[in-house]
Amino acid sequence: MSVTAAPNGSERALLPTATPARTRAAVRELLRPHRALAVAGFGTMMLATAVGLLTQPLLGHIVDAVAEHRSPDALTWPVLALAGVALVQGLTTALGMSLVSRLGETALARLRELFVARALSLPLERLERAGSGDLNARVTRDVSRVADAVRGALPELARSGLSIVLTLGALALLDWRFLLAALAAVPVQAHTARWYVRNAVPLYAKERIAAGAQQQQLLDTIGGARTVRAHRLQEGHTRQVTERSRAAVELTMRGVRLVLRFYSRLHIAEYVGLTAVLVTGYWLVRSGSASIGTATAAALYFHSLFGPVNTALVLLDDAQSATAGLARLVGVVDEPAPAPGDGAEDRAAAVPGAPAVTLTGVSHAYAPGRPVLDGVDLQVRPEERVALVGTTGAGKTTLAKLVAGLHRPTAGRVDVGGTEPDGSGRLVGLVTQEVHVFAGPLADDLRLARPDAGDEELREALAAVGALGWAEQLPDGLDTVVGDGSHRLTADRAQQLALARVLLADPPVVVLDEATAEAGSSGARLLDEAAERALRGRTALVVAHRLSQAAAADRVVVLDGGRVVEQGTHDELLAARGRYAALWRAWSDNRSASPTGLTDRTGLTELPAPAEPAAGGSPAAH
Amino acid sequence: MGSGELSGRDVLTRSVRGQGRRVAVGAVLGCVHQLGEALVPVLIGVVVDQAVAGRDAGRLVLWLAVLAVLYVCLSWSFRLGARIGERGAEEAAHTLRLALVRRVLDPRGGAEDDRLAGELANVATEDAKRVGAVNMALMSGVWAVAGLAVSAVVLLLTSVPLGLIVLVGTPVLLWLGHLLSKPLERRSEAEQDRAAGAAGVAADLVAGLRVLKGLGAQQAAVERYRRTSRVSLAATLRAARAESWQTGLVLALTGVFIALIAWVGGRLALEGSLSLGQLVTAVGLALFLLGPLETFAWVNADLAQGRASAARIARVLAAGPAVVGGEEPVPAGVRGELRLRGVRLGGLDGVDLDVPAGRLTGIAVTDPACAEALLGCLGREVDPESGSVELDGVPLTRLAPAELRAAVLVAAHDAALFEGSLAANVRPAQGTADGGPDPRTARAMAAADADEVARSLPHGAATQVGEGGRSLSGGQRQRVLLARALRAEPPVLVVHDPTTAVDAVTEARIAQGLREIRQGRTTVVVTNSPALLAVTDRVVFLDGGRVGAEGTHGELARTHATYRTAVLA
Repeated sequence: MSVTAAPNGSERALLPTATPARTRAAVRELLRPHRALAVAGFGTMMLATAVGLLTQPLLGHIVDAVAEHRSPDALTWPVLALAGVALVQGLTTALGMSLVSRLGETALARLRELFVARALSLPLERLERAGSGDLNARVTRDVSRVADAVRGALPELARSGLSIVLTLGALALLDWRFLLAALAAVPVQAHTARWYVRNAVPLYAKERIAAGAQQQQLLDTIGGARTVRAHRLQEGHTRQVTERSRAAVELTMRGVRLVLRFYSRLHIAEYVGLTAVLVTGYWLVRSGSASIGTATAAALYFHSLFGPVNTALVLLDDAQSATAGLARLVGVVDEPAPAPGDGAEDRAAAVPGAPAVTLTGVSHAYAPGRPVLDGVDLQVRPEERVALVGTTGAGKTTLAKLVAGLHRPTAGRVDVGGTEPDGSGRLVGLVTQEVHVFAGPLADDLRLARPDAGDEELREALAAVGALGWAEQLPDGLDTVVGDGSHRLTADRAQQLALARVLLADPPVVVLDEATAEAGSSGARLLDEAAERALRGRTALVVAHRLSQAAAADRVVVLDGGRVVEQGTHDELLAARGRYAALWRAWSDNRSASPTGLTDRTGLTELPAPAEPAAGGSPAAH
Repeated sequence: MGSGELSGRDVLTRSVRGQGRRVAVGAVLGCVHQLGEALVPVLIGVVVDQAVAGRDAGRLVLWLAVLAVLYVCLSWSFRLGARIGERGAEEAAHTLRLALVRRVLDPRGGAEDDRLAGELANVATEDAKRVGAVNMALMSGVWAVAGLAVSAVVLLLTSVPLGLIVLVGTPVLLWLGHLLSKPLERRSEAEQDRAAGAAGVAADLVAGLRVLKGLGAQQAAVERYRRTSRVSLAATLRAARAESWQTGLVLALTGVFIALIAWVGGRLALEGSLSLGQLVTAVGLALFLLGPLETFAWVNADLAQGRASAARIARVLAAGPAVVGGEEPVPAGVRGELRLRGVRLGGLDGVDLDVPAGRLTGIAVTDPACAEALLGCLGREVDPESGSVELDGVPLTRLAPAELRAAVLVAAHDAALFEGSLAANVRPAQGTADGGPDPRTARAMAAADADEVARSLPHGAATQVGEGGRSLSGGQRQRVLLARALRAEPPVLVVHDPTTAVDAVTEARIAQGLREIRQGRTTVVVTNSPALLAVTDRVVFLDGGRVGAEGTHGELARTHATYRTAVLA
């Protein structure tokens, strides 16, 4: 297994790709349970091809019968035999191809299931280092490329390969010298194939990149059409689309030219082989060691090789890219599964009541030397709700991720009810501002959180987060297919859905990371209420942007530059007149309707003075 | 959609006509190639007949030389013809792609309504490609006809009865095969659609991986995927079986047909009306004929696809503009006074509103739809159903939309960032080229607190923001968007909810920066955020589609209960 090495540790580290040997071994493992099917499938295809090869000698027989001026009745049996051959060949081909597809498809289904299962269990940290595009490309492009090969190329390649081998064998049966003649084409073909693969692989890689860039540009430009119009950027965007489309066209044309040169060379091979077979036929007939019928059969055999040889060589290309895709899939399947843990988290989750959360001297750095959290001590009592407050970059999100167990702290310990959270989500539920609506019926989306939930439970959960109203008004109610490509939910509805999932999953500890930040100014209150219900009876850590969330919490913890700088209840902190009090004033002064607020024009032009220390104190943090 | 508009057929004809010369040259070269391919079995027959049977070395050499010439011709004509054909297809697609993008970006808009960006991008790639491919399909059709004609002539010259059998029999054979395999084909298509489902589910689960992990729902997701995968497998297997039987069927039918030709040909040869070589030629041509006839089948399928794609392209190209009328340029020296009278649109229910020149005006709403409608009107993305919007006394509907937007910039809440560096996004008109440090850009960045964003990024303002700016967080994006709007320095700037994702301290700083940098120029902030409303000169409060109150933020907050609830809660 090789890991695409990143130039330095902090840069991208793609997910692994399996070596060719490991890929082959994985394929063997996948096929092993279906050995009988494999034997039956390839056996039947072999039979089909062999039977098909009787066609040319039978035609040769007819030619001989004509050449020897035999009676018309002499034609009857070869003709009947020809028809019989056709029927048997058709039947066995159908059977053989469907057996081979069954083999390939079953193995492929198993592989993609293994892949998805392993992909979903990869530690988030690992995925983040690889970039989300890597896994996505594997699950879409590589799976479909392998599938296409299994579906189209594999049966065809098997058929062509068998045709070639058996046709050459048949040529040898007619006369071994015909085989020698036919093989005259092989060096040209082999050289052509090697030349082609050498040139095609890098070219196609470039072509795919160019096509991706073009698609990207189109999405960017069309998706931002309103912005382009507002800022009158038409000229620049049209130019960029033109450039990228032009680049894609030119690379496609280079590919076309390459393929056409490939065909030209195959034409040469055809001519060389055909000439050799015809000349051999001439010599053998002249020396009396072969009949004209045999020579005809040999020429026809060779002519009938053009199709399968071209097919096989062209399919090499598909096979090549499928193998590359396969290696990337196997690479992920072979990733070591995360340590299953000792089930401590399950035990902890089984204990009734919400556990406490304790952080002791927790530090974390994504890149060495740039700590995001620095020696954080924090205790959250069972069923307590703690709000995390601080400016952007203070480390709130990182802290949330550590508590949820998505990252391990670089130093210190996170303890939830006596165990370390492993990111499995059963103990600590995490809702981030990244919302995703799973494509499919709305009810199925919710059941991901609790697979055995009945319709009533789903309704209760939706009602609790205030989503039942709109959910029932969807075209098909809870059975409405939602998500990308179907009924799209707005950001705040997707957030409500995320909170409903928390209710269903029912973890004893919940971390909300700015779960309501993306909603516009008017939808926020609704989401706050929904969050309030989702958190009831749980130990909760809430990363708060709107300070109303902080004010409603049992305790407020202020982070700055990766350290806890203040903590206490809302009232205590206000009384302390520290960082939080300043934040609160900046936030609430504008909101307060009291006459002491900033009502006169002159006061408004100045930044509210109390906010200054906080504003000045935080930006340096990263 | 207007009348006299573009149809799918028009798109198709124009696309072919645009590549007319290439199509013609490609077709001729392709015909030469087909002729050559048809002559290969003929020449094999001739060699057997004249050289092998006659044991004549001289003729062997002669005919092999002819075969060589034939190969050179067929190979070169194929190579050149196919290259010209593919070039035609690609160029046609490229032209369509640009036409589509120009239409979507047209200042008058209207093309992307109700369509997802991904869908439109697909029209510009896949559909354009399919319409382009019609050029190639047409050429192939011509080649197939030529191949058919050549074989027909050769066969009829060889033997009239045998020629007739082949010429009548081959289409019958293909028709029969088509007829028999049609139900199979239909089934296979339906099954393949179902089979494609598994891929979609997998991609969707991976995209939602964080959510799954946050809930501990991985196991449930894996189970679900396994079920989908198994359903998909069953469908694929049914499809594969149908396809296998189709292949087998065609093979059997072809074989029986060849047997028939061999039987008739053999009898004719025994009667002496056919030479040995002619028999071989006839069998060879019967096999060859299947090629052009199969070409017809796929050419037909390509044409059908091309027609469907052309119709989709035509719908976008012919989409009616969102705003009509207005060609006048904006008078020089914009003062920047906006006046709305009786405006009705979306949630707006007869709004009268004045935005004084050179001032900072806040607009707060109770209904988000009102804000959207208002922004649409001001940027002329859409015209009001009734009522008027005027800039310095000139109705916006008389102004050319592109000209208007130079004077009035509407910075939407959900505006897009584009692939490229942060700096390039702040000064998009400049393109990707880095103009170096520029004091006005620096000022705009500072006012929007985007300089802070730049400092936190690994390569500062040169950091790539990724597709759609997705590598930035919500708060970072908003600040870059605002910096871009400020840097554009329009006479009138309308910003919508520019700070919903930034923290309170930063918001206060941005509010101040906004006020300072827009000093003396007309600025409208549509928001319910008190921090922003507090720095405005005056606030207009739209309560359910009408102007509910006007005054300073302080006054309204003190005196107006509904305003207080909307803004301060």
